[in-house]
Amino acid sequence: MTEEKRGRDARFRRVDGLLIALMILPLAACIALKVLFTPASEGVDISGAMIYATIPFPLQELVITESQINSWAIILTLLGLCLYLTHGLTEKAETKRQLIAEWIVEKCEGLVNANMGERYAGYEYLIAAIMGLSAFSSLSCLIGLFAPTGDVNVTAGWAILVFCLVTWTKMQGGFLNYLKGFTEPIPIFTPMNFISEFSLPVSMAFRHYGNVMSGAVISALIGTALRSLSKMVLGWIPVIGTIPLLQIGLPAILSIYFDVFSGLMQAFIFAMLTMLNVSGAFPQEAWEKRQRKKAIRKQRAALAKA
Amino acid sequence: MQSLSIISVNIWQILISFANLAILTWIIRKFLFKPVKKVLDSRRESIDSAYARADEAEKEAEENRRNYAAAMAAAKQTADQMISEAARDAERRGGEIENEARERAQEIRRQAEEDALLEKKKAEEDMKREIADVSALLTGKLLEREVTPEDHRGLIDSFLQELDG
Repeated sequence: MTEEKRGRDARFRRVDGLLIALMILPLAACIALKVLFTPASEGVDISGAMIYATIPFPLQELVITESQINSWAIILTLLGLCLYLTHGLTEKAETKRQLIAEWIVEKCEGLVNANMGERYAGYEYLIAAIMGLSAFSSLSCLIGLFAPTGDVNVTAGWAILVFCLVTWTKMQGGFLNYLKGFTEPIPIFTPMNFISEFSLPVSMAFRHYGNVMSGAVISALIGTALRSLSKMVLGWIPVIGTIPLLQIGLPAILSIYFDVFSGLMQAFIFAMLTMLNVSGAFPQEAWEKRQRKKAIRKQRAALAKA
Repeated sequence: MQSLSIISVNIWQILISFANLAILTWIIRKFLFKPVKKVLDSRRESIDSAYARADEAEKEAEENRRNYAAAMAAAKQTADQMISEAARDAERRGGEIENEARERAQEIRRQAEEDALLEKKKAEEDMKREIADVSALLTGKLLEREVTPEDHRGLIDSFLQELDG
């Protein structure tokens, strides 16, 4: 009995170890890749993601950059985190990780319920995924990686997914109804309605990307400036002069704002905008009206059959 | 190693990012929400069933209490009835015994009275005969002659009448 239990415990711990490795190893691999490929350089280096490979593709070359690799690593990490949190769930919630997992699930459910209503309960997975991916992507720059959210292509992909969902929700009232929506309140507004419709993904993508990227740019500028200042002020001291002492302190505080606060804020804002746009696409009253109409049609069909 | 310029749009990258978010949504749904919700549901179910069981037990206890109270009341009634019956019985038996005793006493007394009367009569008879004998003897002696029994009888009677008178 105890032997069996010990064996089970050992297996449980082994699986735990594997899951923790699944969480850590992808990120470590990304760091290693970055360290291997980063050229030694002095001076201000403000550019996008590093290109690891270029594959010829129709229409446009497929470039595999840091942001893709880091995104995949973060997805693997999140998969490991999910598996770790849900490993050994019991009805009595004996472990801390189960409490965390339940907290996450219940918070997401509550948020989606409060902002979108019961009708959109299926969106909680997407909202959780957006928050997790965005927050972890932004925070990945804390361990020296290029934040994938600092690449406009990444946030554009998410924004287009959200746009597709918004459009799909709008089409719940029928395709013609959807097209008619562009001519309201008067037909002359149609071009403006088109612009406002397609500005949604663009604004969402650029808001997120711009916030993260600008933070990275400002951090890089200030870091470089402090290094130069350090060289100028302390450069005459024999040994200590080679160390950029003035870089200590200020960049860390800026990092707390730009990387941590701004990153988490943007993740929340992106999720909020997703919820508001999707739930606003097909208002509750219109939905109820449609449900009533559907019921009447069904009744009529039943009557005709009988 | 070259880098992308700070803004560069590549549709394949956008597509990859689109797919990434979709895949992560699926992962979160499959590996986080589904198991957690399953556990939450089963917990809710077990709590509900525990509550139902508790309600049932309470109801049962209440019923038992009521049954017990009813049984107690019935037992008390039976006991009361038995006691009153026994008391009545005892009273009845006591009365019977008393009556019997009284009857017997009366009989004994009557018997005794009868006996006494008989004794008295017998004694009277004896006395009469003895007196008659004595008087006959005495008279014989006094008169020095034989008295006939008829005389004798007449004498005694007159004597007794005198005595009685």
